Amino acid sequence: MSLTFDPTTLAPYLGDLAAGARLSALACALALAGGLALGIVAALMRTSASPLVRRIAGVYADVFRNVPFIVQLFFLFYGLPEIGVELSAFGTGVLALSLAGGAFTSDVIRSGILAVEPGVLEAAQVSGLSRLAIYRRIVLPIALRSAVRPLGSVFVNLILTSSILSAITINELTGSAKIIASDTFQPFEVYALLLLLYAVMTWLVSLSAGALHRHLNRAA
Amino acid sequence: MRYADFTHHDLLLLLQGLGVSVALFVATTIIGSIIGLAWAMLRYYRTPLLAPLAAAVAELLKNSPVLVQLFLVFFGLPVLLETDLTPVQAALITLSGNTAAFVYVIAVSAIESVGREQLETARVFGLSRWQALRRIVAPQAAAFGFGPLAGLLVNQLQVTSLISVIGVVDLTKAGAILNVRTLKPFIVWTVIGVLYYLMARLIARSCARVETRLRAHSQWKGL
Repeated sequence: MSLTFDPTTLAPYLGDLAAGARLSALACALALAGGLALGIVAALMRTSASPLVRRIAGVYADVFRNVPFIVQLFFLFYGLPEIGVELSAFGTGVLALSLAGGAFTSDVIRSGILAVEPGVLEAAQVSGLSRLAIYRRIVLPIALRSAVRPLGSVFVNLILTSSILSAITINELTGSAKIIASDTFQPFEVYALLLLLYAVMTWLVSLSAGALHRHLNRAA
Repeated sequence: MRYADFTHHDLLLLLQGLGVSVALFVATTIIGSIIGLAWAMLRYYRTPLLAPLAAAVAELLKNSPVLVQLFLVFFGLPVLLETDLTPVQAALITLSGNTAAFVYVIAVSAIESVGREQLETARVFGLSRWQALRRIVAPQAAAFGFGPLAGLLVNQLQVTSLISVIGVVDLTKAGAILNVRTLKPFIVWTVIGVLYYLMARLIARSCARVETRLRAHSQWKGL
């Protein structure tokens, strides 16, 4: 048995890995924006006064949290062209990540909304603010501010989940590592490096989310 | 000419995939829980070197994609150790390790949720560290940690779907096979999704039932 571990031979491939990382970052950033938009809408629906609206948004969150991401991804990747929606693999990947991310985001924002004190809402209503103004100026700022740290962990999960996009031919970070592993015949070194890269990235994200959370929620 | 209709054999394939998914989920949950609890014991007994090492490994496993861990074990380990691993073995190792990391985190925070003074009181009364854990800390920690554990189990069921990528014929792989043959992605992936959804609900439902029983002692029984 010979234990050989030589990561130096990977140096020429660092450029490919960086290109993959850029694609991963782009997919995650787009999915974060999409997930946040979907999550805010779904959270508002889940806290609405109408039981029907609550129900619809509840079903959305329930389904996308309880079905494996890879199944959702394949459903969209193979299913969308069948109904005439032609998206690139990357577009499909971002859409799938946004849909799944939105379900988890709606959970976090919903609990932020429920934590807004009823007295504050009553005061706003009595002051004659319109519903839109109450949402925009009072409910969402409070809910989003207290949700920064949990949103950070949703984003961390999004980054980890984005590795699954390699299953639909997208050469993001994991996809490019797969190619490098088969080129160099050094799968252990490549995937060990990849593991560390993801760990460092997610660690940085949760650190910055924590710092931002403390900054936004500091005692005035 | 391809035969693109659904046959009785497809149902068999689905059932087989379902069986593989459930079996791997159950096996890795049991192995992972044992390893994770053992790691937590290292911390409870404040074992030097091993306790921080367990914490670091758990942190690394928690913060990296399971897919990459799976590739590292399936493609990397055999090259490094010059052995052969079947996809099922690689899946067992990876998923057990991943479950262990999360069980470790849950167990540690559950143990810490029990006040230190209880442990100190037990020690003053002459209980050994093990007796204190067994009689005083563990019952309370179990009730505290069960909620997060239920969430973990639902999540780990979904994680098993990733093993289809290295060629284990689980429920997702069965779906991929049917998808290619029948070219009816909407029906195939909807059926697969519904099956996963029902399993997740089943796990959540049974966990909720056990949790009410664990928390029975602290419930208001009426006067």
